[in-house]
Amino acid sequence: MSRPILHALLAAALACASQVALAQAKKKPAAEKATQAPEVKPIGVNPAPTTENFHAQCIGCHGIPGYKTAFPIVYHVPKIAGQNPDYIVAALKAYKSGARSHPSMRGIAASLSEEEMKKLADYYGEPAKP
Amino acid sequence: MTRLTFAIILAALCLNAQAADPAAGKKKAEAVCAACHGIDGNKPSAPDQPVLAGQYKDYLVQALTDYKVGRRQNPIMKGFADSLSKKDIEDVAEWFSTQKTTRLHDQR
Repeated sequence: MSRPILHALLAAALACASQVALAQAKKKPAAEKATQAPEVKPIGVNPAPTTENFHAQCIGCHGIPGYKTAFPIVYHVPKIAGQNPDYIVAALKAYKSGARSHPSMRGIAASLSEEEMKKLADYYGEPAKP
Repeated sequence: MTRLTFAIILAALCLNAQAADPAAGKKKAEAVCAACHGIDGNKPSAPDQPVLAGQYKDYLVQALTDYKVGRRQNPIMKGFADSLSKKDIEDVAEWFSTQKTTRLHDQR
C-alpha cells in the first residue's frame, strides 16, 4: 500500500475514533449538567411565593427597623411583629378591598388569598397572652 | 417687614414642631381610646384591634388622619378620629408611641 493512502486511512480512522469519543464525552457531562444546572431566574421577575419565602414581599419594608414609606406620604412603616394576628388579616383585607389606600400595600394585598393572609398573620403576629 | 414676617412664621413652625404633649395625649387617650385599646395601648379589647403601644408616632398620626379624612374606611374609627383635632392626634400619637410595649417589635 502506498504511503499517502495509508496516511489517509489512518487519518480517517483517527477522525472516526475521536468523533465517537467526543460524542460520548459530550453525552456524559451533558447528562450530569442537566441535574446540576443552577436555576436561571429572569431578571426583574419575582419568584413565585414558596413555603420558604412566603413573606418575601413583606421583609423589604417591614423587616428593616425604622424603614419609611417613599410614596405618596413619608412616614415609618408600622411595626407588625407581635401585632394581633386577626388585626393583620383585617388590615390586609382592608387594603385588598380598597378600604385602606396605601398604593404598595394595595398591590401586595391584592395578590394574597385569605389563606396566605392568615399564614403571614400567624408568622408576624402574636396572639394576646391571657 | 418681610424679615419680621419670616421670623414669625419660623417661630410658629418651631412651636408647632414641639407641640406634641404626651400628658394631654394621655388625657385624650383615657377619654377616647382606652376603652378599646387600653390606656397605654397594650390591651386591645378584641383580637382584630391593633396594639398601639410602641408603634411609630408618625404612623399613628397618619392612621388617625386617614380615618378622619376618609382615606382609611372604618366606621368606628372614623367616629373617634372625627372627634380629635390635629393637635389631639399629635398628642395621642405621642402618648401611645412612647408607651412600653410587651408586644410590638421591629423584626420577626
